[in-house]
Amino acid sequence: MELRSILLIAALALSVTSAAADTIKIGVIGPFSGPFASAFGAPFRQGIETYVAMNGDTVDGNKVEFVYRDLGLGDPARARTLAQELINNEQVQYLAGFVFTPNALAVAPIVQSAKIPTVIFNASTSVVVSKSEYFVRTSNTLPQVTVPVAKRALERGIKKVVTIVSDYGPGVDAEGAFKRVFEEGGGTIIESVRMPLATTDFGPYLQKIRLQKPDALFTFLPFGPPTFGFVKAYSENGLKEAGVTFLGTSETQETDLQALGDPAIGLETAYFYSGTHKSPENEKFVATLAKIHPGAIANPATVSAFDGTRVLYAMIKATGGKRDAEAALAAVKGQAWESPRGPIKIDANTRDIVQNVYIRVVKRDASGKLINDEVATFAAQPDYGVLFAK
Amino acid sequence: MQILASIAIDSVTYGMTLFVIAVGLSVTLGLIRVVNLAHGLFAVLGGYFAWYAMTVWKFGYVPAAVAAIVLTTTAGLLLERLLFSRVYRRSALDQVLLSIGIMFVGIAACGAVFGDGIKTLPLPPLLSGPVELGFRAVPAQRLLVITCGGAVVLAMWLAYSRTKVGIRLRAVVDHTDAAESIGIDSRLFYAVAFALGAGLAGLGGILGAEIMQIEPFYPTKYLVTFLAVVAIGGLGNIWGSLGAAMLLSGVETSSKYLLPSLGSILSYAAMLAVLSFRPHGLFGGEEGE
Amino acid sequence: MTQVHSKRLAPLELAVPLAAAALWVIAPGQLGLLTQIATTAVVVLGLDVVVGYAGIVTLGHAAFVGVGGYAAGLLALHVFAEPISGLLFGAVAGAALAFLTGFVVLRGRGLSLIMMTVAVAQIVLEIANKSRKWTGGDDGLSGFEVSPLFGIFPFDFTGKVAYVYSVAVLTICLFALRRIMRSPFGLTCVGIREDRVRMSAMGCDVSGHLRLAYALGGALAGLGGALSAQTVQVVGLHSLSFTTSAEALVMLILGGTGRLWGALVGTALFMTLHHVAAELDPFRWMFAIGGLLIAVVLVAPSGIVNGVLGKVELWRERRAGL
Repeated sequence: MELRSILLIAALALSVTSAAADTIKIGVIGPFSGPFASAFGAPFRQGIETYVAMNGDTVDGNKVEFVYRDLGLGDPARARTLAQELINNEQVQYLAGFVFTPNALAVAPIVQSAKIPTVIFNASTSVVVSKSEYFVRTSNTLPQVTVPVAKRALERGIKKVVTIVSDYGPGVDAEGAFKRVFEEGGGTIIESVRMPLATTDFGPYLQKIRLQKPDALFTFLPFGPPTFGFVKAYSENGLKEAGVTFLGTSETQETDLQALGDPAIGLETAYFYSGTHKSPENEKFVATLAKIHPGAIANPATVSAFDGTRVLYAMIKATGGKRDAEAALAAVKGQAWESPRGPIKIDANTRDIVQNVYIRVVKRDASGKLINDEVATFAAQPDYGVLFAK
Repeated sequence: MQILASIAIDSVTYGMTLFVIAVGLSVTLGLIRVVNLAHGLFAVLGGYFAWYAMTVWKFGYVPAAVAAIVLTTTAGLLLERLLFSRVYRRSALDQVLLSIGIMFVGIAACGAVFGDGIKTLPLPPLLSGPVELGFRAVPAQRLLVITCGGAVVLAMWLAYSRTKVGIRLRAVVDHTDAAESIGIDSRLFYAVAFALGAGLAGLGGILGAEIMQIEPFYPTKYLVTFLAVVAIGGLGNIWGSLGAAMLLSGVETSSKYLLPSLGSILSYAAMLAVLSFRPHGLFGGEEGE
Repeated sequence: MTQVHSKRLAPLELAVPLAAAALWVIAPGQLGLLTQIATTAVVVLGLDVVVGYAGIVTLGHAAFVGVGGYAAGLLALHVFAEPISGLLFGAVAGAALAFLTGFVVLRGRGLSLIMMTVAVAQIVLEIANKSRKWTGGDDGLSGFEVSPLFGIFPFDFTGKVAYVYSVAVLTICLFALRRIMRSPFGLTCVGIREDRVRMSAMGCDVSGHLRLAYALGGALAGLGGALSAQTVQVVGLHSLSFTTSAEALVMLILGGTGRLWGALVGTALFMTLHHVAAELDPFRWMFAIGGLLIAVVLVAPSGIVNGVLGKVELWRERRAGL
């Protein structure tokens, strides 16, 4: 039967991929299939490969090999199984990736007891990094990007806001951070709405907001269909014309931006990376990416993976290719450098990322493409989640 | 008052979309008596074919929709002849397995051919943008959905009450041998009914593309919703499906406006309540699987 | 097909730990996957009791799995972390939820019954999502540790203790279930499935009986959920999802209902294929699984185990010259 042949081939394939000596393996866990592949999985891979293209695939004579494992959604049990496999079978020295917070949390005990330094390319809930001494994050945290939105709104004279987020961890975190800063600054939150994750029809929510007449709405939604539906509904229900400003964070990230079309124009977001960020590092980054993956779009996940790979290389260099988790972490704690997104630093205590957060407004550039145009900068933003918790 | 009118419009729009998609499933489950958990596949195929026709063949909105419905109906016919007809006499669980297998393959095929992202159907200028109704702006596309949905309902009512089609369908299902002995080809009826259900689902997928986005995992995302419409409406009860779709959509829409913190608990609790008191559906239906 | 009780040297259930031991030797790197197969198999065994024996088709089995998992996790986090108590607590939680919801859900028939099970599971999911303080919501419940088994064997990252633990629990469950389902209780379940009216006419309390069967299925689901919570040390909302319920049903039908072994075979096959296909072609593993399901339905009616047994029967008959 065909099944037996599939299994046989699989067994052969797996046995053949056993490591050669002196190769340092890095396990990457991410959504390489499924609905999050285009926004995260593919960018992870592209970010890694861009760094390798620019810096080679060896560090001081040690060859570096990336082993990819697909995890398409938040499935902590499977995340742990994959991590276990990578550590025990593939003998990886480092782990990387992780889009969803529950997956990162699930592997924390394992990487802690097995002493595997792990670089987080996305999972943005504050508390993740504190779960293991060997976690380092190169993406962002939710409070980190939300606080600037609230501050900017206050600067602009926005007084009344309705917060409307998807009812899940990151959404609730974002709502909390925004509320806290906005109300402390004298603003008023008219209502805080939480929408079920499975919502597809956002019209009723936006209609109600229109009737409530706030100066702005603040939102947080997961990538893909929800963001899409929400932005369209915002546009179709005439909220822009009614004077309700759209405040968000990751909703206009590059891989989905073109598909949003005209409804996206004028949306204001705060985030840590825009594809059109003007700097020599970004130009080089985008150019190299275009060369090795024509048609690929640089988005925040790509940059997070790119910088994350830099961290991995630094750790390999510091340990001379040997397993020494303490030395590896010591080498990257407190490190600061110029990333394609701007200046970033790995906090020496929390191992979390400190970076600029930019206020962007969507507009069409000269060639008609939609871009996140950076209009203001909040420099060196730490993870506010940690500060709020005190 | 504004809120009530708003709720009404949004809920009728969503309800119409659900009805047009789910009615085929009600017929399949209730009259043809075969379980098809992959029904959502027809809806999303309608959307994909329409997108393809518009972006690659450069059709306009209406011609693309027509082409898509034809293609989806054909797909339904093929699936019925090649796969579903083989399991008509098998257990419900076998049919569950088969249809889940078809759903998986369908999702993978859509992903492979069309990519992982969402496909939007570009609306003609007439239909995009809001229509001011005084108290609120209604997206023009929604008015289209309501109109089309109403047309479908009207057409089905005419077909059922004015022609012999409805009677024959029932005859074929309930008394296959007797029906065949007077010359009705039951296999043909099954195939046609199934294919029509698929075509309608395709239409629903196109109409609903704004609120139920066209992407590969569509069939799994909305499976529970479609099944709920059929269960509450009563298996095989076409008018029941309409009522159920409106009811479900009404509950969901109202809770979004009035009690957003409860989320979807209200819809499911309502479903639980209705089904525990009326297991054959709110409006009664066939004693089906 | 009732089997004649033949004299055997050892119970058939020993095949499970023997196979597990063999797999440890053959594939020592796959212990994580094998442990997950074992914990899922416990869940699917419970589903077989409900679907295969009692004839109650459910797409909401995940509610009991998740409840069991969260119960075990919360017990370990807040009270004490002894593993066996966690298992029992999870089983009781699953059974209780099943028994209580059975009063409402089992009033339905066919599609309405299925939809009610779905509704219950979705409501439980929503409640778990909203109770972030207890369940961690979307982030999942983590940070709980499980004490060493019997005070001696710690659950470490190599996963060896977890593997032996899960296989042992699975074997015990299988052992117990095979006897329960051959007892009057089990036979009554089958009787109700085949002809409910006749059973009722014979004086059987059909609803009460079905509720017990449903609760037994819930107990096993809760047990499986607790087992998973302890071996993985995280509980996520995914355990309550529709996908979990649907996959469990698929695994059961694949292997074959009403035989208990079908649950094991189906689970092992489905999860292995998922694992392998995801590695070979991460992007379109659904093609492989979907294709397999279609093939099995067309080629092996009533699932793989029954299909195989059917062929064996046929072969025996031919040999006997019938």
